[in-house]
Amino acid sequence: MNLLSLSPQAVATIAFYLVVAVTLIGALIAVAARNIFHNVLGLAMSLIGVAGLFLYLNSPFVALMEILIYVGAICIAICFAIMLSEPMYLPRPPRKLSKILGGVVGAGLVFTLLFLLTKKTTWVPAAQRSTDWSVTTIGHYLLTNYALIFELVSLLLLVAMLGAIVIARGGRGSS
Amino acid sequence: MGPCDPNFLSCFLIVALPLLSFAVIMIFTWRRHRLSLAISLTCSTIPLILAWSLFFRLKDTVTLAKPIVTQVNWLVSDAVIVPFGFLLDPVSLLMLGIVATISWLIQIYSIGYMEGDPGFARFYADLSLFGMSMLSLVSASGMLQLFISWELVGLASYLLIGFWYEKFSASEAGKKAFVVTRFGDIGFFMGLVFLTFFMKDINIFGLGIFDINNAALTKKLTEAQFTLCALLIFCGVAGKSAQFPIHVWLPDAMEGPTPVSALLHSATMVAAGVYLITRLFPFFAASATAMTVVLVISTITLLLSSTIGMVAKDIKQVWAYSTVSQLGFMAMGLSAAALGGSTLFAGYYHLTTHAAFKALLFLCAGVFIHHFGTNDFFVMSKDGGRKLAIPMVTVTIGALALAGIFPFAGFFSKEAILAQLWHLPNKLWVGLGLFGAFLTAYYTFRVIFVMLFPRKDDDPVWQEYYVREEGGHGHGAHDDDHGHGGHHGVPWVMSFPLIVLAAFTLVLGFLQTPLEKFLLGESHPHEMNYVLLFSAVGCALGGIGVAWLDWGSANARWQGFIRKVPALENFFIQKWYMDHFWRWFLNTFIYGTFSRIFTYNDRRVVDGGVDAVAFSTIGSGRLLSFIQTAFVQLNLLFMVLVLAGVGLYLLMGR
Amino acid sequence: MLVFNQLETYLYLALLLFAIGLYGVLARRSLIAILISVELILNAASINFMAFNRFLAPHPAVGQVITLFIMAVAAAEAAIALSIIVAVYRKLKSINIEHATELRG
Repeated sequence: MNLLSLSPQAVATIAFYLVVAVTLIGALIAVAARNIFHNVLGLAMSLIGVAGLFLYLNSPFVALMEILIYVGAICIAICFAIMLSEPMYLPRPPRKLSKILGGVVGAGLVFTLLFLLTKKTTWVPAAQRSTDWSVTTIGHYLLTNYALIFELVSLLLLVAMLGAIVIARGGRGSS
Repeated sequence: MGPCDPNFLSCFLIVALPLLSFAVIMIFTWRRHRLSLAISLTCSTIPLILAWSLFFRLKDTVTLAKPIVTQVNWLVSDAVIVPFGFLLDPVSLLMLGIVATISWLIQIYSIGYMEGDPGFARFYADLSLFGMSMLSLVSASGMLQLFISWELVGLASYLLIGFWYEKFSASEAGKKAFVVTRFGDIGFFMGLVFLTFFMKDINIFGLGIFDINNAALTKKLTEAQFTLCALLIFCGVAGKSAQFPIHVWLPDAMEGPTPVSALLHSATMVAAGVYLITRLFPFFAASATAMTVVLVISTITLLLSSTIGMVAKDIKQVWAYSTVSQLGFMAMGLSAAALGGSTLFAGYYHLTTHAAFKALLFLCAGVFIHHFGTNDFFVMSKDGGRKLAIPMVTVTIGALALAGIFPFAGFFSKEAILAQLWHLPNKLWVGLGLFGAFLTAYYTFRVIFVMLFPRKDDDPVWQEYYVREEGGHGHGAHDDDHGHGGHHGVPWVMSFPLIVLAAFTLVLGFLQTPLEKFLLGESHPHEMNYVLLFSAVGCALGGIGVAWLDWGSANARWQGFIRKVPALENFFIQKWYMDHFWRWFLNTFIYGTFSRIFTYNDRRVVDGGVDAVAFSTIGSGRLLSFIQTAFVQLNLLFMVLVLAGVGLYLLMGR
Repeated sequence: MLVFNQLETYLYLALLLFAIGLYGVLARRSLIAILISVELILNAASINFMAFNRFLAPHPAVGQVITLFIMAVAAAEAAIALSIIVAVYRKLKSINIEHATELRG
């Protein structure tokens, strides 16, 4: 096969382009499709692509978490919200050109400027870089140096949970 | 040095078990009294064993200069590290043992005292919290941890003093104790802040007790800085240890159940203040000015409370004022030692002996109160108080120790403190100390003689003294139910702690030399100062003798010698008008002046300002509300454009 | 130099994702679609963190920890936002952002 004759670098590069394509196409579906379920599926696709990027960035653990939390939890939660809110069979209002134009202009402007800024900046790596990528270290950091933030995040999730319940059930006595 | 260190583990268990017991009882078992009792007793017995085993294991290895510090990082957020750990040196080891022992004995005692109380489980939960906070205060390695425990002690005492919260005076007393000690604690905290500020290279989280003492020994700060910090920290000490002029909460704290008073007065709350001075002794000793202030204040406290104790009719009040005076005495001893360049031994020794005999006195008083349903010892006397043999004997032992009679513990420790005072160039202090000892002996034996030698039932003196107020103090109504008719004599669980404490009172005095060796690493040979020895014993015996003439002998008039000067007696009965002073002070300055100024300021400046802001906001809102189109995405678009503008600035500007 | 071993690749990619998400936030009308776009923006930020972590940072575990925190915060945010959407739907019978105009001045 032709594929076998390719060098590992070439295979990796091709795979990388595939991942990039999945990410960007997913993102485009997520914002451009008219059916809201297609949007969610696009988001999931894009997030899986992002997880692939994380793999390329040497972080399999975070990639796994990306899939678990985003694809597994958040996307499903969004599906629930869709089912609990607007019925799908209603006619959707037609798109307005002015809004699309506004979006394109805003996003385009920011993109251009940030692109130029990124291009202009010279990125300097830290003088001394540790090579410790292991999950053990991440766990260690989470429970030592960043223990306080870890606790705060736990608290935040708890509050969010309670808040979500309180808001969604629509106040006292209405349930 | 980590969490697996056996010393750390034992200390951790000592502190954590009572806390666990508090939580479990409060959350799960508060309905089930027996189970709660079992939990609480288990969680105070194990710390007791651990504390003494630590003591005996480490007693030869640690010294004041080389303590064992075991710490773990409790809270870490990158650069901010809050350690949690224990400092084990002779001072804290011995105190750990004492606190654990006394709180254990009091838990035993309360089985009898609190029996049948609807809040039985809650009482044990609060006792556990009290024990936990004091144990953690004693063993804390850092000032922040010490301060947290310090406040927890205040909280627990608040809960326990106001234990019978349905009674108005009890909940008021709890509040008073909490608020008054808070006055001092503000000073304490400010002192800590100033200290960290002056020390520069350390933050408040890492400020260890050892660091402070080292800074004092190496003269890291200037004299003025030490004085400022020491005086501010002494504010906290004065609040907790009930020193003049913020001692007013302590007598009111008698509203709590008697075991609580015993705990509060011997080993926990009030001892915390004096313990802090011993803990930071080198630091306090670094400032002669601060120590002189402490000496003056503690002397005033000693005299003030002794004189009030002479006229009180409530047995718990008498013991409460004697506590205040003995605390003053300890502070005198410590400050005199600091001024004279001596060691902390005398004051600390008195703290330990006092813990034993004051707990004994209160527990005995508790037996009488429980039995007779009154706090008035004249009433107890008439109703046959001396027939309760064990408490009567033990209360006499405690009183002898408090008065400072050989061979009881108080004799030795008082002698040590008087020796420190003797070394001061100004002999006024030792004179005042001796006078305080005289007064102490007098009012102590006033109680004992009245109880031991009641008049015949038809004697006219009863018209003045036999006033039985039902349900007045303590928990009269509850006691009358089963205290009187129910059981004869004293239940075993209540007399056992009395006997143990009486034994301590007898033994502790003879342990002076080994204790000194343990604390300081060496024992100074005592040069016998016969002048001082005889004058001290003479003062104590003189006090007892006067008390005998006034109250004890067959033809005594049952009138204090102070009755000769009615104005002075009234002054003492009114507690030197200190409560009035504070009331007046609060009314005139806080409510009258500051409140009025602040109210005016609040009405005109703050409210007016807020109103102006509000009106201008409403007005401008009305004017500008056309901008609010409720098109969120339009707003967002503007936001994004501004963001782009910032990007443009960054791109071009640099 | 391989394309996936360059910092700039990831930065541009994150930028693209960010711009796409921004477009969605500005142009879509369904509240849920806006939420989806916000998730894209958050992911763009995550990619940036991970890229800097991979190529520049002194300690490579720190960036991963931060990304994990971003995920946790995003989960909390999604939960709250979705419950708000449900509440809005109950009140207005619509999740079109242009119908939510009760605060118009």
